[in-house]
Amino acid sequence: MDAAVVQNLKKYFGRGPLQVKAVDGIDLSIEKGRFTAIAGASGSGKTTLLNLIGGLYPPTEGTVLVDGVNLGALREEERTVFRRRKIGFVFQGCGLVPELTVRENILLPLALDKSRPDAVFWEELTGLLGLTEKLDCFPSMLSGGGQQCTAIARALITRPSIILADEPTGNFDIKTSQNVAGLLKMTVDVFHQTLVVITHNPELAQLADRVVRLKDGRIVQ
Amino acid sequence: MRRSGGAPLLLTLAAVLLLLLGALELPVSLLRVGTAGLGAAVLLLAGLWKRSQERREAAFANRVCETLDALAAGREPENYRPYEDSQLSKVQGRLLQYQDRTQEGRRQSEADKQTVQELVSDISHQIKTPMSNIRMFTDILSQQELPPERRTEFLATLSSQVQKLDFLMQALLKMSRLETGTFALHMENASLYDTIAQAVSGVLAAADRKRIPIDVDCGSGETLPHDPKWTAEALGNLLDNAVKYTPEGGHIRICVRPWQFYTRIDVADTGIGIPPEHDNDVFKRFYRMPSSGPEEGVGLGLYLAREIITRQKGYLTLKSEVGRGSVFSVFLLR
Repeated sequence: MDAAVVQNLKKYFGRGPLQVKAVDGIDLSIEKGRFTAIAGASGSGKTTLLNLIGGLYPPTEGTVLVDGVNLGALREEERTVFRRRKIGFVFQGCGLVPELTVRENILLPLALDKSRPDAVFWEELTGLLGLTEKLDCFPSMLSGGGQQCTAIARALITRPSIILADEPTGNFDIKTSQNVAGLLKMTVDVFHQTLVVITHNPELAQLADRVVRLKDGRIVQ
Repeated sequence: MRRSGGAPLLLTLAAVLLLLLGALELPVSLLRVGTAGLGAAVLLLAGLWKRSQERREAAFANRVCETLDALAAGREPENYRPYEDSQLSKVQGRLLQYQDRTQEGRRQSEADKQTVQELVSDISHQIKTPMSNIRMFTDILSQQELPPERRTEFLATLSSQVQKLDFLMQALLKMSRLETGTFALHMENASLYDTIAQAVSGVLAAADRKRIPIDVDCGSGETLPHDPKWTAEALGNLLDNAVKYTPEGGHIRICVRPWQFYTRIDVADTGIGIPPEHDNDVFKRFYRMPSSGPEEGVGLGLYLAREIITRQKGYLTLKSEVGRGSVFSVFLLR
């Protein structure tokens, strides 16, 4: 089974002559355990598509199935629970809670679900991302790369069905960007996770098993 | 299933009521009747509460069993609602994760079988040409009436075909060891300088013939956890590629930079470059760019390099400009 399937997906913003067709009829299957990169120029609809797959927007038309569940058929509170358990997000700006320690940030999705991580998985995950010594630090005490590693660990902690990353290296200098790209790729490989990344960075796209190119809200390649 | 605090609540309530009755200074007989009634009510409610708990637990266990039955039969459980904020859906989610991981193992095993089949087919295809050439030249040479100069010429061609076959077999052997997982990495905190020196030594003669200098910018004290033998093989493949596609008088530079998480090793050349549309393809097995020209090769070097680096939890990227050269960057975890 595919991790996610998108059928005739459309998302229009506004009405009349000013209407913007951000996503305009996309069909896409995201294979389980694979790394898919979505590339395209600014305004090509990449982020809208990712947000639709993540159930953050309702589509204007079409369906999004994640793990076989039609996100459009769920109520808002159901979508929230589903996202928490089945979808991991990595954002450009890390999106960490500054008042929580690295440990608390990583465990946040599990805490909301009143769950605990498997001890071995926890050790392996934090070790791979170089966070073992930094678990009691606050995000502000970490470098940009360290913060993004925390965000990656948080996305992985629930072992979700799919991880969606929006320009995860976009805010960084070239060194940090390549460090983060490598760690993201390595961790999803080690834990056999499904990853969808939006990126402008050709070097990050090179690491993907498949590159999907968008133009004007449609897949061109 | 939700755990309720019903029993302690009932007992507390009863205790409070008893205290209140005591405070009202009622006659002893009335107090006794009241206490007995209250006790009976508490016992009844506690019994009902226990019964309800047992029913809930039984319903929970039944639903978990239904899920397990469905998974054991290879079906999707019908009662699974991953969007429900309940203990049942949480437990079912974990069971499905477990099933997913076991299936992943099976899928991997199927994929490995498929890989071996493809490998056998690729090997047979690749050795076909040199083998038929060898057969053809052996047939020709077996003819006694050949003039000596033609015989020498054919022997040289035969020898080059044997060399090609040997090269191909070596490369295929390495590839099959990587693909079938029969090679073991020996990670050690070794000198990166020594590993690079080993890789460079393999291409020095070819680079000399084309008057291509190879500069190395790497501190001799730089150590890194890696498999020196296989890493030298990967770097050697990148260097071999650089020497092949760099014109005479060009330049190759190896530069090592330790970063926060990774050590970056750049192998840069001033060669013909790779068009961006081939960025991902050049790492594919047996892929050769249309512009590869007459250069020898079977399209395994870059594929092997990427495999070797990836197995060490590192990665390999390419930045290139047609007519100006290419930079292959190896990233190894520090």
